[in-house]
Amino acid sequence: MASLETEVLVIGGGSTGAGVVRDAAMRGFKTVLVERKDLADGTTGRFHGLLHSGGRYAVRDPEAAKECIEENLILRRTAADCIEDTGGLFVSTPWDDPAFGDTFLEGCRATGVPVEEISVAEALQREPRLHPGISRAFTVPDASIDAWKLVWGCARSAQEHGAEMLIYHRVVRLERSDGRVSGALVRDELTGRELRIHADVVVNAAGAWAGQIAELAGCRVNVLPGKGIMIAMNHRLVNTVINRCKMPADGDILVPIRTVSVIGTTDTRVADPDDLEITEAEVEEMLDEGEKLVPGFREARALRAWAGARPLFAPEEVADTREVSRSHALVDHRERDGVEGLVTITGGKTTTFRLMAEAAMDAACEQLGVDRPCRTAEEPLPGSEAREFYTLGSRVRAREPVPQLQEIICECELITRERLEEAMEWRHTPNLDDIRRTLRLGMGPCQGGFCIYRATGILHSVERLDHLAANESLLSFLQERWKGVHPILYGDQLRQARLDDWIFQGLLGVQRLPT
Amino acid sequence: MTYDTVVIGAGLAGLTAALRLAEEGRQVILVAKGVGSTHLAPATIDVLAVDDKSPAEALSKLPSEHPYARLPVEVVAASIEWFKARVAGYRGGLHENFLLPTAVGAVKPSAVVPESMAGGDLRGGGRFVFVGLGLKDFYPAYLAENLDQLADVSARGIELTLSHEGSLDLARRFEQADLREVIARQLNAQLEPDERVGFPAVLGLRHAAEVWRDLEERLERPVFEVATLPPSLPGMRLYEAMSEPLRKAGGRVIIGPTVVAAETSNGRVEGVVVEQAARSTTLRARSFMLATGGFASGGLQLDSRGRIRETVFDLPVAGAPDRPRFLPTYLEEQPLDRVGVAVDEQFRPTDVDGNPRYENLYAAGATLAGAAPWREGSGNGLSVATGYAAATILEGAQ
Amino acid sequence: MTELVRDSLDHCVKCTICETFCPFSQVTPLFPGPKYVGPQAERYRGAGLSPDVSVDYCSGCGICTQVCPQGVKIAEINSQARAQLWEDRGIPLRNQLIARPSVLGRLGTPVAPLANWALQNRAVRLLAHRLGGIHYKAPMPKFAGHTFQRWAKRHRSTVSRRKVVYFHGCGTNYYEPGVGEMVVAVLEHNGFHVRIPPQDCCGLPLQSNGNFPAARKYLRRLIGKLAPYAHDGWPIVANSTSCGLMLKREAREILEVEGEDLEAVSAATHDICEFLLGLHERGELRTDFRSLPLTVPYHAPCQQRGHEIGKPALDLLALIPDLRVIELDADCCGIAGTYGLKKEKYSISMAVGERLFRDVYESGANVVACDSETCRWQIEHGTDVHAVHPVELLYRAYGLDAPVAVSAG
Repeated sequence: MASLETEVLVIGGGSTGAGVVRDAAMRGFKTVLVERKDLADGTTGRFHGLLHSGGRYAVRDPEAAKECIEENLILRRTAADCIEDTGGLFVSTPWDDPAFGDTFLEGCRATGVPVEEISVAEALQREPRLHPGISRAFTVPDASIDAWKLVWGCARSAQEHGAEMLIYHRVVRLERSDGRVSGALVRDELTGRELRIHADVVVNAAGAWAGQIAELAGCRVNVLPGKGIMIAMNHRLVNTVINRCKMPADGDILVPIRTVSVIGTTDTRVADPDDLEITEAEVEEMLDEGEKLVPGFREARALRAWAGARPLFAPEEVADTREVSRSHALVDHRERDGVEGLVTITGGKTTTFRLMAEAAMDAACEQLGVDRPCRTAEEPLPGSEAREFYTLGSRVRAREPVPQLQEIICECELITRERLEEAMEWRHTPNLDDIRRTLRLGMGPCQGGFCIYRATGILHSVERLDHLAANESLLSFLQERWKGVHPILYGDQLRQARLDDWIFQGLLGVQRLPT
Repeated sequence: MTYDTVVIGAGLAGLTAALRLAEEGRQVILVAKGVGSTHLAPATIDVLAVDDKSPAEALSKLPSEHPYARLPVEVVAASIEWFKARVAGYRGGLHENFLLPTAVGAVKPSAVVPESMAGGDLRGGGRFVFVGLGLKDFYPAYLAENLDQLADVSARGIELTLSHEGSLDLARRFEQADLREVIARQLNAQLEPDERVGFPAVLGLRHAAEVWRDLEERLERPVFEVATLPPSLPGMRLYEAMSEPLRKAGGRVIIGPTVVAAETSNGRVEGVVVEQAARSTTLRARSFMLATGGFASGGLQLDSRGRIRETVFDLPVAGAPDRPRFLPTYLEEQPLDRVGVAVDEQFRPTDVDGNPRYENLYAAGATLAGAAPWREGSGNGLSVATGYAAATILEGAQ
Repeated sequence: MTELVRDSLDHCVKCTICETFCPFSQVTPLFPGPKYVGPQAERYRGAGLSPDVSVDYCSGCGICTQVCPQGVKIAEINSQARAQLWEDRGIPLRNQLIARPSVLGRLGTPVAPLANWALQNRAVRLLAHRLGGIHYKAPMPKFAGHTFQRWAKRHRSTVSRRKVVYFHGCGTNYYEPGVGEMVVAVLEHNGFHVRIPPQDCCGLPLQSNGNFPAARKYLRRLIGKLAPYAHDGWPIVANSTSCGLMLKREAREILEVEGEDLEAVSAATHDICEFLLGLHERGELRTDFRSLPLTVPYHAPCQQRGHEIGKPALDLLALIPDLRVIELDADCCGIAGTYGLKKEKYSISMAVGERLFRDVYESGANVVACDSETCRWQIEHGTDVHAVHPVELLYRAYGLDAPVAVSAG
């Protein structure tokens, strides 16, 4: 069996894991990250895209609010290319108590979240689609953040610092010797080959799956997966992040991110983070809540729905952990369980991923008995060196002044053949869904209706896939897409689905392809 | 003025019905929000492909809710003959399906096909070469590899990158002999004697027949088109081939305004309300033909609360499923697939009790309940057959 | 952007039907097509500066909106995006100038001989080409030298209980007063009292050149002149299809002007042919036409089709004995108001018009009918065939030209 040696092994390729691998590599450790699927395939790739200002937690969870605003400001400096500086509004709709606005203001001031009350008229001028019955409005520095760009930025930076990323590698077991965790046995999910990784310290950054990983070392980490559903609406109904000014609840955030607006979210305890079915009642709730923020929401076009599994950490059962804050949890297993060589970092949110990584690596350093400072708060991610925020128009602007239509493969997301081929060569994957996460291929209104046939033909040639692998790639993308589309098929998106049915089943006859 | 018939919808069903009536000397006006599905579909007349072999046999086995079940096979056959007599260059019939390659290299049964596609028939096997033209909507190597797995078929792809143009531009360029000459020269150097040559369906628009024949002559072998992503050039040719004789027969075609409602009295439709730039107007007629299509074209709508509506006459909708409307597996038949307007024997939309809602309203095409055209391969066939039959009945009733 | 227009992008299923019909993207790579700059690029607009300039190559002909089976207001999206573009970047002087026909008209009319000489003079045109960005070959109409308004002030219309207000537009006022006289004559022949209130530009050229604030100013002024009649129940007829469409729809959908006055004016406005055919359908149109043994190709301009009234000119002309009308099916003449005048767009405009020019030419006719003035000028420029408003044929068939010499074009 093949094996490799490393100093730090990171488990989990979400934002936390990507943050940890970068942090570790930048501290000069030889580092390996393993992820059972693709980077940001789990919770990170399935959130609404809100870079919190802290406003949402200012009243309920001041510690979290403080962390959020600090990290928000750091990420604006270090990950500008992943961020659109939309700003945020907290508004009191007719369903919300205007008096909560005062509590909110106090909370923001106490936690250092910059806040300003503006007139209703000004809010409505800024966001004309907002419910005209709002009674109060407050600005905060919320923003939207592209999680895939963020995670891949961290991964690239880590690689530049010598780290190795092993995606589609599942942890089969944690290796133990002399009462300490000494590495992991992992399996390549694409080839089935196993690999033994020896490590001085293992950082469990598996998010909602962190309990499952800790269990492999005989440790109990109480992570309760919480399902949150989100729906992307076809265009920017608003250009500012909109929050309801009340105690956080379901469906009270509308995030303009890239070309869409995402409404979220719910919070339901589930047993298995891999089993997240979207129910009709949840969709109905989102649409009803959307109507309160933006009247006419139900008539607007929904593109796709998805669910993510939040890692909800239950600290009361792990009384002796060193709890960094209520928003995320660090478990030093040497200290708590007497199991050396293992650190778990879980809970938290994408906004604070960097801080979580720093905390985890501080603990790992302590276990290793070295003192190397964290540098992730200063050094920008690759692509963000210029410290210029991403802007909505950038993909259109890049094609001007004479867009070459024949070169544009995904018309909704404006992806050229050149970029697509580049990404395919770089990702070296038979899986179009990986390409989707890399470039947002097929993420627009037609949900791949026009580009997926093209992308399959190109993938067949670039990756030299045989026809069966290409067929499989096409069909599994269609199935994956259907999973996101069928819960919200009504109105315009049903029309689109019907045209797409025509294309795939009528014109191309994909159901008759050999598999 | 009062027309004999207002036809609503410019897809193949509406065009068929309107042309049939105009040819009988009726004053027909066809009004549609935009051009229809012709521009999106491959222009083959797929009658029925539940059984790959014979559409005629498959027709006789349909359940009674299916719109085809309203028609004797002979009427379907007559509609196809009528169509072939008007639109030049179609081949085939109800006896046996062609088996044509799709752009991914799947095998698709079609009853009646444009002659420019017939050469791709896979039934007898043979050797095929597929030619890419640098078009982003056509991948010959992938297509050929899938086909190559079939018994008796050998297939390969060649990419001739001539330009970076879209299908419409290419189609126009094909109408000039110099492009055809360059292509023929390049291909003749690479082709084996018994290979047939498939191109993406971009071989001309207005002069397509000439382009195709010329390529066959230059390459001295069967040449054929493979339908690919919209816009469909064969579909655009079909639209022209139907709408031009319609105009010539005195039919009016208005593309743009939306028909939003109807004026009715005593169980009759008196007029349909058409939205114009500043106001609406009512088009009056003795009879009306609804050919607005299904969910894809907006003839039917489903709102976020699960209500289904027929958008012009607010007709009752048949076949609406209880929850769920969709199943989690994409390629399964979906519960919503066969929703539509139910009609009586005379193609008049009916109430829940089966009686015609209006005595002078008829319906044809994808609006009708009971079919799942893209699944069962009945797309254009259903439109031609029901458009023809409904118009024939309407004509007889007047 | 109006929510009505922006929201319509939700209906787009990317089917590309609009692209197959766009006459402009077919002839130039500089315009990437209605789907691209319309519902597609629109999702990238609205936050920050306008990201694209290629939208400026949309002519605004509106064919995309007409053919879209899903109801996307593509041309309207483009129009508003263009306005945003120029708001962000500042409108070039040339576009400011050619977008004010009534200013040009007031300047040119008193010095018509000189102005017309200059417009035909190659050296002057080359200078205007180089310095002003107006293509030296572009079709420029000749100033009539007197305005239609001057004629109207002296004209005493028939006294009648049936009344109509005539909105003649700038083309008629400064360049084709004869067409206006014929419109009046045809209406009076049918027993109408025709009122011609003083009027200025409707703002359309400013709108299509992206200057919405100025366009609104003109529009509101015009609405102010017409509204009292509309409120009193007078129908308003227009012989310029594009200016009529401004009153009917574009004011609301593109310029976002609202109000009771506009609503009343919109509802009262009729294209002249639409109005006359309406009379005919009610049996109120005089049909005392004499024989007109001519073959006339007819081109319905894009903006005429935007009225969504079909082609009433065809029905009207069919009433004239011995007149053979050929319906042309070319989509666009290419001029699109002021689009084809511009140095960088002239050749695009001519390429678009090529099919129409050929069809007109091949018909062998000596005269072609078309409802819109700028399209008539373009057709004459492209074919040398005399182009007339359909009303002129009615006028002649009514025998109204007996005492008056026909003038047009």
